[in-house]
This record gives sequence, C-alpha cells and structure tokens, in this order.
Amino acid sequence: MTEMIVVKELSRSFGEIRAVRGIGFTVARGEIFGFLGPNGAGKTTTISMLSGLLRPDSGSITIDGMDMASHGRDIRRIMGIIPQEIALYEELSGRDNLLFWGGLYGLAGGELRDSVDRALELVELIDRAKDPVRTYSGGMKRRINLCAGLVHDPKIILLDEPTLGIDPQARIRILDVVKGLADRGKTIIYTTHYLEEAEHICDRIAIIDEGTIYASGTLAELVELVGGKIMVTVSGGFGAGDVRELVGDAEIDHIENGELRVKLLDRDSTGRFLGGLFSTGLHVDGVAIREPSLESVFLQVTGRELRD
Amino acid sequence: MNEILGILANDIRRRLKSPVSVILMILIPVTMTLIVGIVFGPSGEVTVPKIKVLLVDNDGGFFSGFLMQGMQQGELADMLDITGVSAAEGEKMMSEGKASALIEIPQGFTANILDGVPVEIRLVKNSSEYFLPLVVEEITKTMAVLLDSGSRIFSGPMTRMRSIIDGESWPSTGDMEDVMNGARNGVILVYGYVADSLITFRDEVASAADTAVVAAGEKEDSGGFNIFAYVMPGSMMIGLLFIAELILRDILRERTGGTLPRMLASPVTTSQVVAGKVGAAFAITMISCLILLAVSRIGFSVDLGDPSALFLHTVATILMCTGVMTFLYGAISSERAADAVMSVVIIVMALFGGSMVPYEQMPSALQAAGRFSPVFWAADGMKRIFLFDAGVSDISVHLAILVALGVCSLIPGTLLIRSRIAKGGW
Repeated sequence: MTEMIVVKELSRSFGEIRAVRGIGFTVARGEIFGFLGPNGAGKTTTISMLSGLLRPDSGSITIDGMDMASHGRDIRRIMGIIPQEIALYEELSGRDNLLFWGGLYGLAGGELRDSVDRALELVELIDRAKDPVRTYSGGMKRRINLCAGLVHDPKIILLDEPTLGIDPQARIRILDVVKGLADRGKTIIYTTHYLEEAEHICDRIAIIDEGTIYASGTLAELVELVGGKIMVTVSGGFGAGDVRELVGDAEIDHIENGELRVKLLDRDSTGRFLGGLFSTGLHVDGVAIREPSLESVFLQVTGRELRD
Repeated sequence: MNEILGILANDIRRRLKSPVSVILMILIPVTMTLIVGIVFGPSGEVTVPKIKVLLVDNDGGFFSGFLMQGMQQGELADMLDITGVSAAEGEKMMSEGKASALIEIPQGFTANILDGVPVEIRLVKNSSEYFLPLVVEEITKTMAVLLDSGSRIFSGPMTRMRSIIDGESWPSTGDMEDVMNGARNGVILVYGYVADSLITFRDEVASAADTAVVAAGEKEDSGGFNIFAYVMPGSMMIGLLFIAELILRDILRERTGGTLPRMLASPVTTSQVVAGKVGAAFAITMISCLILLAVSRIGFSVDLGDPSALFLHTVATILMCTGVMTFLYGAISSERAADAVMSVVIIVMALFGGSMVPYEQMPSALQAAGRFSPVFWAADGMKRIFLFDAGVSDISVHLAILVALGVCSLIPGTLLIRSRIAKGGW
C-alpha cells in the first residue's frame, strides 16, 4: 500500500513538559489509523503538528510526498481537520458556517454550494442547515463540526476525539460517517480514548501515553503482544508468598503483597485458578478478569489502566 | 485577497446575526450625549464658571462704553469677567490662552453709528475652548443687535443728542422735546428691524499656539450653539474605541473557541487571518461611526459641517481606534488580561481626552496631558467640524496626528498579533 503519511522522530515540548517524545509511524492511503491514549497522552499535540498548527521541535512529517516544513500550505489544502472542540460560529447557521470554511479552502460559487450540500447530506443535517448552530443539540453540533472539515473533500482527514461527550446514538452516526469516508479512499487519523471506538473502526492502532508510542499494529497484532491470554487481577489481604503456590504454571505478570496479576490460557484454567484461590480461605477484596482485548494490551504495554 | 475579504465578510455577517453587543456600544455615546445634553439644557441647573473676556476699546466713545457697561451689569456681571486691555495686550493674552474671548471695538465706532455708517465688532475666540467662547459670542451678538436696533429707531433723536454724546453742551428743553418725539416716531416705525444691520459682527478663532487668526466663523445663521454637537464627539470616541476593542477581542475568543486554530489549519496564512480580523474591526467600527453620525444629525440636529473634512476625519479616527486597539491586543495574551486592562485604558484615554469632562475646564496640567490622548485629537477635530464648520485645512494637524497614531500602532500591533499566533502563543 502507498504510504500517505510518514512521521519520523517527532518531538515537541512545552517548557519542561515533553508532550511528544520522538514518535514515528506511517499511515497508508485509505487507512484509518487510530491513536489510543488517555487525556494528556500527546494525541492532540501530534494532530496539531500533523495539521501544521504546531511546529515540531525535531523530526519530520511527510504527507502525500510533501514535506510539512516546506510545503505546509499545499498539505493543508488536501487535509481536513476535525478538532476536539466544536470550532464553529454558533450565531451563524450550519450552512453559513460551511460556506465560510469551504471558502477558506478556495471553493467559490456553485462549486462551494454543491460541496456544502453534499457535506450536509452526508451528516444528515440538510433539514436544519438554515438554523443557527446554537440551536443544535450536542450530537448535531458534533456532526456539523465534522462536516466543516469535509466540505472541501480532503484526501486526508484528522479527527481529534470527534465523539467526545455525546450520546451513544450520535456516536454511532459519526463512526458510520468515518467508516464511509475510509470506504471512499480517504486516509484518516483518528484519536480517541475510547477503547471500543478504536477496536471498532481503526485498521491500525497506536497506543500512546506520555508522548511515547508504546505499540502499534492491527488489533490482532496488538492482542498477540499479550499472548492472547486472559488476565486476572486479584486484590486482597494476602502476602505474595501466600498466593505464589496457587498460580502453578500460569504466567505471573505482577505480584506483591495485596495484589496479584496473572495471565491464563483460557476460561477453564481461569476457573480452576479462582476455585483454588477461594478454597484457601484467603481474604479477597476483588477479582478483575480481562479477556484478550485492547484494554489488556494497553495495561500490558503501558503498565497502567487507560484512564480518563 | 479573497481569503482576507472572506474572513472580513464573515465577521460582519456574524455581527449582523448577533448585533446586541455592538448596539449596546453604540448606545453608550448616544445615552451619554442625551444625558449631558439634558443636564446642560435650558432646564438644567449648571454652574458656569465666570468667563474671562478681554475688551479692546479703540473707540472710547458713548456706544463702546454702552457695550462695555452693558456686559458688566445685572446677570451678565455674574457671568463675565471683563478686562479692558490694549490691542497688543489682548492679542498676547489670547495667544497664551489666558481668556475665553477678545472683543475689539473699532475706532470711530460711536461716530459711525451716529452717522449711519456700518461698523464691525471683532470677536476672537479661544481655540482650545468651545462652550465659553460661544457664550460670549451669543452675548455679544445680542448686545450688537440691541445697539443696532436702538441706533436705527433712535437715529433722529440721537443726531440731535450728538452734542450731549460729544460732551459739548446740554440741549435746550425744546431740543429734548424734539428728541422724545423723534424717539416715539422711531419706535412706531421700527425701521431698524427690517433694514440691513449697521453693526455687524466678525467672528474669529485664535490659536493658542500663535496669534494668527485661523478661521472666520460661518455659524451665525445656524441657530446658535447646540450642546449635543459639543458633547457627541467625545462620547462617540468612547463608543468607537469600545467597538474596535470588542471586535478585536474576537481573536482571543476564537483562539479559545477553536475557530482560530481551525482557520490556521486551512491554507489561509497567519497574515491573512490577522489582516481579515483587523479589517473587520475597521469596517464594523466605521459602520458604527456612520450610524452615530446619522443619530447625531437626525436625533440631535447636529450640523455635521464640511463633508470632506468629516469624511477624512472619520476615516482617520477609525484608523486610530483600530490601530490603538490592535496594538494593545498585540501586547495582551489572554481574555482575562484584556478584561483587566482594556476598559481601564479606554476610560483613561477618554477621560484625559475630554470625552467625559469638558476639556477646557480641566486644569492646565491635565489639558497638557490630554493632548497625549488619541481621544483628544479625534474628539477635538470632530468638535471643530460640528461647531465651527472647520474645513480640511483647519483640522489638518488633527488628521496628521490621527493617521500617524493609527499607522504607527496598527503596523506593530498587527505584527505582534501575527508573531504570537505563529509562535503558538495564542
């Protein structure tokens, strides 16, 4: 596949804070590439550098064969950005907003009007196009926000947490639109801290935290990283020595007084392990069982839960 | 260019869709003018300071004495502080701004009135004051009209009384009888009211900087002093500065709201975005100014004066307002800082510039400081246009200062904003 986006050794600091630390990745044409990470992981800083809003301290960005440092304006012309916040003029109608944003990309006259109509149809807001944005619901605002980044029919689309703070129904609509765009050959970078979103729509995922990409690949490749095993976490009033014998052949991921994390092959072995644990009469406060998933991958590669 | 115009047009469209804040800003000067106008109006109780008037009596005759005495009697004595001076002294004092007005009665004034020869009284007004010289002008005009009418009605008897006036001898009883009959007939004929004036009046403005007489007034027929024309320019400047500030604050709001970064992520350059925003501030402030001028004319019957002077002064004023506000926003990094700084700066500029209190009533030190306020030059120029029908040449200094201030603040302000945006500091 043709590489549409190539990022090498990208870094950016804000004073003492190193927001992005030498990350690198590639995105193929027509691919949905996801950035999964908690708030403050460096997702928005990465998107800002990709969109030309922030200059990297070091590293390079090449998009569609053009270097961002020397062809920033040309790259921005083929790129659509959907920011995390609702970046719209609330006093204007949805249509007026789209006419303005489309105009900034050089569209004019009939071409602009047609593009706006197409974008409005895509997000099913043609009926409310003449109403001021301030009268829209949260989900509708998100959709028109998405629309504003698509009106000029970009080749590359950067979506920064586009489903933040909306109801499940509106989220599904937005995800459907994003999938539809990928089907039409658009190259998409999608940041999120929702695991299920990343699993659902991304072709490849990069796990990012503290400005570092810990792992990247397809969902299957990432799950393989944790060995495709079930992870069981037990907490309670026990010492490390008390439970060591119970583990048997299972792989211990983490053990200390009061907490044990083990990787088990399948559900049968998990049942046997828990049965043995309870039969010892040890005081157990809680048990968490994670099937092989992105969440367990995240925990495995970053050493912590994906937090809000 | 299309991108700049697109951003500019979008900002105007947004203001049209949501005009409340701009309307409120337009209402500030209108309300201020209305209130001050009502307070200073006929029903208002206002304490007017005693007006310093210099009187040069080159005649020393009966009628010049009548004029001088008349101004020092009754209520006028409480209002005017008349000082008799020589012509040279008078010119010097006026050039130093030590009096509100100078009245010069020409040589042969009395004799010419008695002979029916037209005479002219010269009034020189202090250019740095407005209200007080205009009061003197009105009083002098009234006295001149009284004297003129009286001299016509009593022209016959006065001729007979010439010996008294000239101080030669007392008339006989028969002469006095003739005088009284003549006066009676004069009153009946009221000839003087329908004829051309014998005594005319020349109105001049003296520059405080030098002794040159710079303008001959044309406002005698305009129906007198309009307090709204005096108050509106200063009030207008407050409103216009606040409007320019409101529009430029949008850059900060758009940064936090996300529309500015979104614009910058498009192919539009940072310079185009800043130019569009500053252009929108200029355009919206200009539209607001035109509305205020229309309100002044229609609502307050203000004579807007010379159209070309008004046009140039308006453009220069809006350039100054936009430039100063752009510069300030170039130095301010957040809405919070803007909240703390901008209103204070505008109010201080307006206060020193004479928008809130009459400039001529400020102590001389404050007047001197006021000349450093851009508001002074904007308001002062507009007052001259409204009150003295000043032309372009009369306000050329004002225009030059306003344009210089505008350009010298607009260019660095624009560069500062651009630099902040480019560095990601916004």
